[in-house]
Amino acid sequence: MKVWIGLAGLLLLSLVVAACAGHAWASPVDLWRAIAGDEALRSRLLFEWRLPRVIAAAFVGALLGLGGTIYQGVFRNPLAEPYLLGSAGGAALGATVALLVPLALPQSWLLPLLAFAGAWGATLLVIGISRVAGAVDAAGLLLAGVAVAAILGALRSFMMLALSDETVSLQVVLSWVLGGVQTPTWSGIGWLVLIVAACVGLAQTLARRLDLLGLGEAMAHAFGLEVRRFVMLAVLAGSVIVAAAVAYGGLVAFVGLASPHVARWLVGPLHRPLLPASALVGAIVVVLADAIARSALPPAEIPLGLVTAVAGGPFFILLLARRLRS
Amino acid sequence: MTVLTAENLRVARGKSTLLRDVSLTFHATESVAIIGPNGAGKSTLLKALAGTEAPTDGQVRLGRRNLAELPAAERAQEIGFLPQHFEPHWDLSVVELLEIGAGRARSLPVDALENTVAAFELGGLERRRWSTLSGGERARVLLAMVLVVDPPVLLADEPAASLDIRHRLDLLKALAERGEDRLSVVVVHDLDLAFSFFDRVVVLARGELIADGPAAELVSDPRLDDAFGVRFERLRAGEEWHLRACR
Repeated sequence: MKVWIGLAGLLLLSLVVAACAGHAWASPVDLWRAIAGDEALRSRLLFEWRLPRVIAAAFVGALLGLGGTIYQGVFRNPLAEPYLLGSAGGAALGATVALLVPLALPQSWLLPLLAFAGAWGATLLVIGISRVAGAVDAAGLLLAGVAVAAILGALRSFMMLALSDETVSLQVVLSWVLGGVQTPTWSGIGWLVLIVAACVGLAQTLARRLDLLGLGEAMAHAFGLEVRRFVMLAVLAGSVIVAAAVAYGGLVAFVGLASPHVARWLVGPLHRPLLPASALVGAIVVVLADAIARSALPPAEIPLGLVTAVAGGPFFILLLARRLRS
Repeated sequence: MTVLTAENLRVARGKSTLLRDVSLTFHATESVAIIGPNGAGKSTLLKALAGTEAPTDGQVRLGRRNLAELPAAERAQEIGFLPQHFEPHWDLSVVELLEIGAGRARSLPVDALENTVAAFELGGLERRRWSTLSGGERARVLLAMVLVVDPPVLLADEPAASLDIRHRLDLLKALAERGEDRLSVVVVHDLDLAFSFFDRVVVLARGELIADGPAAELVSDPRLDDAFGVRFERLRAGEEWHLRACR
């Protein structure tokens, strides 16, 4: 119980700190005034721009935490991460198309839509290939994932070279690929709440079977799990969750890899508590990283993925060192 | 009463046949040791009986029903399977492992976990993590996980292989004693223990069924010597048998 109160308190604190942080710093009193409906320009900027973005960052982090936990559970590998199986490559290709190919739709929703489609499509492609090749186990999926990621990466590089010109620079594409939370409208936040709630529910339905799979395939099968069917189901579920995270936050490194480790350390390896704990840890990390991204080098904004990688890398090395020592 | 039946089982993987035309009938209350030299097909037979390896031909029946057509969750309630090797991927605690094992029952008495902890002498170990347990403790935890739902059938694949002699003796004795009111089928490497503890012995060699009968009769059967490719010198000490192999 203490852990949950601690995590919730930490999330709240990081939301407040992140909402105060930015190009122009605000105080908690300013925040309160903005939420209470103050009409001053400063308050309206806080309410219309900064708060939605901070909340969106929390949701992106929660989705990455969930996705990472599911992938590590399915592949029974603590180094598995949510962008495995080509979802990162697919999302990046989708975003590149949205940014570089002139299509008659507003980019604000074309980009998340194509990134989502790319991430999910790539995972479906990987599953399809592994089925055709008759290698529908976790190892087969991984190999197919590596192959698909390489092909998608090559396609994206080609598109970037062939289609970028004076109007759309490579920098725009690159900054998306390096990750950054979109600022949604308040009605957009409503949708995000629904999406995240659905994803948490979806993940919880997998929890008991992920625990079984953690006993090894032979034991899981003996305990009544249809292993292959479940691996497919869990990968599909994980990829929907990751695709949603990518659509709103681009490719944010390390969060999906590291959050489950921290959560496992806090609540143990059973998935029923692990999944929500990992979502909370992910949310805290991305909220704080996004605050740093916005406020470290004003007026410029550092890509979020760079912040999480720079902060997450050493942290992860520490975690590994601890683990090896024990 | 017959509870588990193998009918003309054949298991082939690629070009090699691991099990050839094996038919066996198991009763609801008996302890059966499966013995045989390396590559005899003991593990394959056990996996086929447990439903974790689908036979190429033939079928396994649980009661009257074809095991292959039984939903996996239902099979898991009826048949407990103890694999040869077990290493969980996450460092779970003893109580977490027992909870996962208990999760396959539709309903359990409230005190099932407590009773299991007491029956397998796991008191005081509940919060310990798998990585901190000794070999003997691990064997007890694994058995407790499988038996927490008290399945009518237990199939065990040489679970004692890595244990020291005392723990091996304890474990095999416990598995054999389970045959007093349940079915317990165990792949056993140690022939002395197989003939001393178990009601019935099944001998396999090169994927074929060589002999099947009461332990007391089979121990003097010359087919045993042929199956292992040695000549056994049989020594009896009270209830227990000692088989010494000579070339």
